[in-house]
Amino acid sequence: MIKQKLFFIIILIVLTSICDTISQLFLKKSINKLNFDIHSIKKILLFIGRLLLTPRVYLGGIFSLLSLFIWLYVLSKADLNLAFSLDSMHYIFIAIASGIFLKEKISFTRWAGTISIVIGIILVALS
Amino acid sequence: MNKKKLTLKILFFLIITDCLETLVQLCFKKSVLSETNLNITSLASSLTFLKLALLSPYLWLALITVFLIFIIWSTILSKIDLSMAVPLASFSYVLVPIVSIIFLHEKIPTLRWIGIGFIIAGIIFVSRSSKENEASL
Repeated sequence: MIKQKLFFIIILIVLTSICDTISQLFLKKSINKLNFDIHSIKKILLFIGRLLLTPRVYLGGIFSLLSLFIWLYVLSKADLNLAFSLDSMHYIFIAIASGIFLKEKISFTRWAGTISIVIGIILVALS
Repeated sequence: MNKKKLTLKILFFLIITDCLETLVQLCFKKSVLSETNLNITSLASSLTFLKLALLSPYLWLALITVFLIFIIWSTILSKIDLSMAVPLASFSYVLVPIVSIIFLHEKIPTLRWIGIGFIIAGIIFVSRSSKENEASL
């Protein structure tokens, strides 16, 4: 019974991670399209204004909200440390997705760093 | 060119984002903490839960902070790769346990500290990967 409950929580956290990854992809894609060069506060406001006019950002926002509501539910059931720890697969999703959809070049060092972070988070989860 | 270079300024803003993110997590946990007795089994009870959560001031503080994070995060993403910004944001894993000790009185075992060490090593690797990419260009 307890195992089943834990499994359910894990599934929910995977779902949150996927939703979060999708929303980040939408956001980064819109920012890449805007191609803004920011060096002052005024530019930041202009940039945010322009960004808020991009439909893709809202699509990302929907996924972000979805992720948030699942996350709120998870937090009501699980310990903050445990919930945070299981969220680590998010980093792998992001690395793969930005390689595929954003054509970012992910070097060996970056992979090594990402994997080290995931190992660290799993260790945190085991403790 | 210059665009993908990780500067100290960006790193500083990433840490600010992490601090704010930690604040958001803490507020979320606080906003749902008072309703832990509530058993969510049906759609109706989850709606009650949502209503109670929406009434909490902690939740609103969290939401305002979320918008602030959106502004800073978007600015950061206009400067560096997503596959670099996200791992670097994992610094909050280092911050959250520390805040958990102080405010939620949760205990942190040794193995968790080792994990935190791995995370810090990973952050150093990822931030070095920006220089590497620059050299190859």
